[in-house]
Amino acid sequence: MPGLELLLVLIAILSGTLAVTSASRGAWFAIAILALSSSALEFSIGDPNRIGLILRLSAIGIGLVAAVPENLFEREALRRDLAMSTLVLTLREHPVVVASALAGLLLGLVPLALPIESSSDALRASGIALLVVGLPPLLTSRFIEATTRAAVVTLAGTMLLRTSIFGAIDPLGALAIGAGFICILVVGGSVATRISNAEEER
Amino acid sequence: MTEEVILTAIRALFPVLTALTSLALVPLIQLWRGSKRDDAATYATLGVQFLLLGTSVGAALAGAGYLSTLRIGQITIDPSEPGRLLVLLGGIVFAVIVGAGEGRRAGTMGQIALFGIAAIDLALAIPSGIAPIALLLFASLSISGAAASGKDDVGRARAVFRDLRTVSLLLPAVVVAEILRTAISYAAVDASYATPASLAAGTALGVSIVLIVAAGVFPFHGRLIKIFESLPIVGSLLVAVWIPSALALIVMGELSALSSSITDPLGGAIVPGILLVGAATLVFGAISALLHDDIGEIVGFIAVGNAGWLALAAAAALQSPTDTSSRLIVLPGMLTTSLFGLWLVSVRRRYGTTSIRELGGWARRTGANGIALTAAIVALAALPPGVVLAARLNLLLLGGNPLIALFAVIGQLMLVVAAARLLLIGITPQSQTVHEAETRPFANIITFSLVAGSLFVAAAAAGWLALESGGTGALPPAPSVSPGASFGPAPTGEPSVEPTPSATASPEVSPSVSPSGSGEISPAP
Repeated sequence: MPGLELLLVLIAILSGTLAVTSASRGAWFAIAILALSSSALEFSIGDPNRIGLILRLSAIGIGLVAAVPENLFEREALRRDLAMSTLVLTLREHPVVVASALAGLLLGLVPLALPIESSSDALRASGIALLVVGLPPLLTSRFIEATTRAAVVTLAGTMLLRTSIFGAIDPLGALAIGAGFICILVVGGSVATRISNAEEER
Repeated sequence: MTEEVILTAIRALFPVLTALTSLALVPLIQLWRGSKRDDAATYATLGVQFLLLGTSVGAALAGAGYLSTLRIGQITIDPSEPGRLLVLLGGIVFAVIVGAGEGRRAGTMGQIALFGIAAIDLALAIPSGIAPIALLLFASLSISGAAASGKDDVGRARAVFRDLRTVSLLLPAVVVAEILRTAISYAAVDASYATPASLAAGTALGVSIVLIVAAGVFPFHGRLIKIFESLPIVGSLLVAVWIPSALALIVMGELSALSSSITDPLGGAIVPGILLVGAATLVFGAISALLHDDIGEIVGFIAVGNAGWLALAAAAALQSPTDTSSRLIVLPGMLTTSLFGLWLVSVRRRYGTTSIRELGGWARRTGANGIALTAAIVALAALPPGVVLAARLNLLLLGGNPLIALFAVIGQLMLVVAAARLLLIGITPQSQTVHEAETRPFANIITFSLVAGSLFVAAAAAGWLALESGGTGALPPAPSVSPGASFGPAPTGEPSVEPTPSATASPEVSPSVSPSGSGEISPAP
């Protein structure tokens, strides 16, 4: 596993874990970093013209701009929420999620059966780790923002796992999945806003 | 880009281009009429209705032949017959529904319908891979999000939230199915791995789950009912009926290809399991439709009943991959549910209530609505007996289990009874609500289009019109032709064009498609 790929894998898994465990600011920044790292991993194989990577990054950029809360960039709050000690504390408060991520990483590194044997170790490991981290909150969370972020983590993991076996997705597929990222972020954001507005009115 | 490529692009992407046109047309109409003028919304609705009818006509004219096949680099958009048929009928159905719905947001609903049927056409035009399923799933989510916008209603928002969760869970299921399918070819040559039959069963389960959950088969019906309860009818029909039906066409093609690619019987209890949930869904939908008093919920449960038929069809596609009955029932089912939706929106608009207790005598007061519901009941019963009824009976025979077939028949009969109950309430003495409601004269364009549209759609749904929803599956890739020679004969190297001494190979001759070995979800043979 080349050094850069390993680094990207670790960043993707760590940011995926933070995305489902952190509160507002930390989680949104983790989602952005997850999107960047997983896209770089996904489109590094067999995609010479990088159209898929451009589509994916544009889609996630648009989705994030539309979905992030208004007061995300308050300097003091940002400094507090993104401090290393806060992030470490967050991870320590969610040992099950961290253990799941590690278990997913180890599980993904072991080739289980064909055609997985012939797949890329790094992509498979990060894909399975993200799926293991993202699926439980997607199934069980009652909080809309948390579910939205879990959906993004799950989709990123799914696409990494797929890419590890089939290679980079075709341009139309990349367009459809990119649209999916926008859709999840925008619809999740609007649903959260609408429910909080309705509750305020009540 | 040559003129020919531009024309091909217009043919291939006509529904998408029409939907995009609506984004400019509606603001232009509002600018023309003035945003505060009362009739701005009416003109916007009319404009969108024309676009819906235009997309129908355009799809019919463009067709699904090789002249509509667009190739740009690695991208191929090859419109399919089922996709074009859905656009043709969808344009008409939603134009009538938008007209009957009236109101301030009718134009927006028309735009949503345009984008919905464009997404269906585009998804069915993508030859293979994860893209068509992803496109349909995310189109479903964005349509429910758009349809729910406009007011801060917690019920609507929660229905969309449920949709978001469902869509996000279904895509991993598709990818797992893809991976398992790829493993089949490895298992065939290496005995140390799972058998092809069990891997095929896993693939079938993964793909079927997408259909079962998206269509609202029992026990996943809750999402569908919530959608019908809370979303506007155009959004409900697209998200809960039209898009799942388009998914069903893809899934059934995949199941047929999968089943024909293995020689052993499918492993596990996949087929009996799907048959069982199909029959249970029909019975459950019918009983629930009989027990509920809200016409929105009743129409939702009729849609659940239709989902039961889709599950039975999926099982039949696995049992008998060459039989076309499974794909023949998809279109009638979605048209029938749309007719009920048309009736629902018309009654709700006229009387302002969805409670059955307040709707006594509705059919006496508004005869056009009575005609619409009668047409829907005839379509549901598939009368007079013809190809649709024959296809349904064939599905039950293919299932091979008399008990499940009996349950399915009972469920279908109860669905008809539940619909007939609505009509009977319409001919009872008029309730206060119905008596006081304001009605319009029979001779006006909305009533006329309601009656004419209902009869046309019922004719298509009951099988009076010879419309086949891709009974032979999505069109295989068109023969490759060089630019400027588009009407010339197909290349002689096409795999299954039978060489006969006197016949010239025409583009209509369909080359057979063998299941792809790459693990991609591909069209049926």
